[in-house]
Amino acid sequence: MGNPTLQASGKISSSWESTPGKNSGALSSTAAESAAGPPEEVLASASLMSGTLESLSGLGDDCSSLGSDSEINGPVRRTDKYGFLGGAQYSESSEAEIAVAVARQREMKWLDMFRNWDKWISRRFQKVKMRCRKGIPCSLRSKAWQLLSNSQELLDSNPGKFEELEQEQGDPKWLDIIEKDLHRQFPFHEMFAARGGHGQQDLYRILKAYTVYRPDEGYCQAQAPVAAVLLMHMPAEQAFWCLVQICEKYLPGYYSAGLEAIQLDGEIFFSLLRRVCPMAYRHLKKFKIDPILYMTEWFMCIFSRTLPWSCVLHVWDMFFCEGVKIVFRVGLVLLKQMLGSVDKLRELQGMYETMERLRNIPPECIREDVLVQEVVSLSVTEALIERECSVQVRKWRVSRGVLTHQPSRRLHGTRAIFEITGSRHLPRVSYHLVCTVLSPNAETGSIYYLAFFFFCFLEDGYLMDEISYIISSQFCCTECHGVHRPLAPSVPVQPHNPPLSITQKLPQPEYLNKTVLWREKHGGDNNLSLSVLEDLFIHCTVDC
Amino acid sequence: VNMGTDLAYNFVFKVVLIGESGVGKSNLLSRFTKNEFNHDSRTTIGVEFSTRSIQVDSITIKAQIWDTAGLERYRAITSAYYRGAVGALLVYDITKHLTYENVERWLKELYHHADPHIVVMLVGNKSDLANVRTVPTEEARDFAEAKGLLFMETSALESTNVESAFLEVLTAIHKKVASKEVTRGSISAVTLGPSSEFNEEKRSCCNSS
Repeated sequence: MGNPTLQASGKISSSWESTPGKNSGALSSTAAESAAGPPEEVLASASLMSGTLESLSGLGDDCSSLGSDSEINGPVRRTDKYGFLGGAQYSESSEAEIAVAVARQREMKWLDMFRNWDKWISRRFQKVKMRCRKGIPCSLRSKAWQLLSNSQELLDSNPGKFEELEQEQGDPKWLDIIEKDLHRQFPFHEMFAARGGHGQQDLYRILKAYTVYRPDEGYCQAQAPVAAVLLMHMPAEQAFWCLVQICEKYLPGYYSAGLEAIQLDGEIFFSLLRRVCPMAYRHLKKFKIDPILYMTEWFMCIFSRTLPWSCVLHVWDMFFCEGVKIVFRVGLVLLKQMLGSVDKLRELQGMYETMERLRNIPPECIREDVLVQEVVSLSVTEALIERECSVQVRKWRVSRGVLTHQPSRRLHGTRAIFEITGSRHLPRVSYHLVCTVLSPNAETGSIYYLAFFFFCFLEDGYLMDEISYIISSQFCCTECHGVHRPLAPSVPVQPHNPPLSITQKLPQPEYLNKTVLWREKHGGDNNLSLSVLEDLFIHCTVDC
Repeated sequence: VNMGTDLAYNFVFKVVLIGESGVGKSNLLSRFTKNEFNHDSRTTIGVEFSTRSIQVDSITIKAQIWDTAGLERYRAITSAYYRGAVGALLVYDITKHLTYENVERWLKELYHHADPHIVVMLVGNKSDLANVRTVPTEEARDFAEAKGLLFMETSALESTNVESAFLEVLTAIHKKVASKEVTRGSISAVTLGPSSEFNEEKRSCCNSS
């Protein structure tokens, strides 16, 4: 089967294209259709696979080797439906499968979405979101993830780039560390079990390519499990661009030197916990368990090392669609499940006991249907996260000084990613419009009109917080490119009474918290016509 | 040595494992606490830990061993990790000289974050690969002595000296704790009154000594 050395091979990629593990469309459709034995591609890849498995027999006789008696008898280990040979994330005999007819129907719906992707994202995103929440059909997951993350377009607009990156030498400092990690990712998964096997080779290729693509970022160990999950679903080049999107759009700064982003998210997470489950919050505070002690692996690996595999995939389906909000919600739900009642806390009266529980999540807390249901119904929105983020950023600057990470770089899922891709024009319709008038600037006589708020769940109590946040920020309008100056902090805020508000009846996707700051010289006339405001809104949307 | 039931124990000592990525910290942890070794143990991301109770004279000590990622990048988030630690095993790989060269930096990091009275042992791991050794034993031993550190070479794979290393560290901590030279409060594992978070006696079963 050839020498399993680390070399990029086009042939390997193409063979993965036809049989990339368990979750490919090609494999499942051919397997479903063929009556008499596996088709040729399957056989060809099986021999490649057994080549991989054969090298397993070369491992020593310590308890970690898999199939060490396989040289004569052939590999005997059987994988679960996801490719795991054993280990904590091995799935026992499969849960009730959906009827084939239903599965096919769902696949047809997804295929229709694929064919008209732009339209679905711009006009029927709620439906897309709902379908991701149901879970993407295994056979189409790879394509769906690439469309949701827009990594397919990234690949298409960078032809030959991956090959170019592969041909660079790379910084030996990173390559050394990457090599050490290759056999330490999902060692129980058939794709990564063999030292120097194709899975580990591909892992090396894409992790190395990233360090060449972003030399100032380099390599962070948590990127390896993330990359491995991607490789379980798609060939190296596609996985690479998907990884790029995760590192730059979904979770920017998570893997960067200084690890500021993850620490900031830890603080945000903890303060959200206070709101969602005060009992858990108090318990963790009492035993001085810093968020960084338990949420690091959860967040940086997007739960790929924490949950049963079908949960991991389901979470990732939602994550690609809705962004980091899902990660926050899963974490909060887990804590609520583990630490959310007096009964549960009774056994955990100590720092160590609590941390041990957090590392060994009881199975009843991670039943997929319950977990997803809880995640979907948790009222933690992007807006809430962003609001809490600004609070924590201020705290950071006060207590720790400079924050080089820019939280505003983060995009909350597919819609946000689409919006920044210049070629698309999405209709900007809001769900909630609230406007208030602020008192005029004494010097210039300008009257400031407050930002518009668009978020689905406007809670009155937070309006004032939002106002004071807006006041301290500076905005650049992405349409007219004007810079809107921050209001002087001393300007007292006088909300218009009663506040002008419009509620659109149309169901709308959740947007990033978008605001507009509009300054106009008026001769003292405070009356704003709503139609003027609406026009302004359509013209000018500002990112905070 | 008693593998340790979770019954009565007199002390809880938190010990941290530090050192470069890939030197074998996670396997030292699993070897000591579970008698397990894995060629393909997962990269540590965040914090891992495990406990084991051992007997030192007639005292039962529960060792809480913490393990974290060795990669440089993760140093940014480790200060919480060191809090309350009374012992540290600073691990290098005897076959990779670079991991030994970085020991000074780890010491600096350690003393920056941890209790000044912390007991430190320099551990040269992977002694089963002595045929490709790049760090001479005597050199490392002399260095340890000069810095006031304990020293041992171990093999998590073959289980050589792993018990001894941890035992020595825990015994040394116990000595410090029992000695009158150490003022209360500077090593937080000392069992103080009922208000101490480390006073585990009350929680254990009824026959603690």
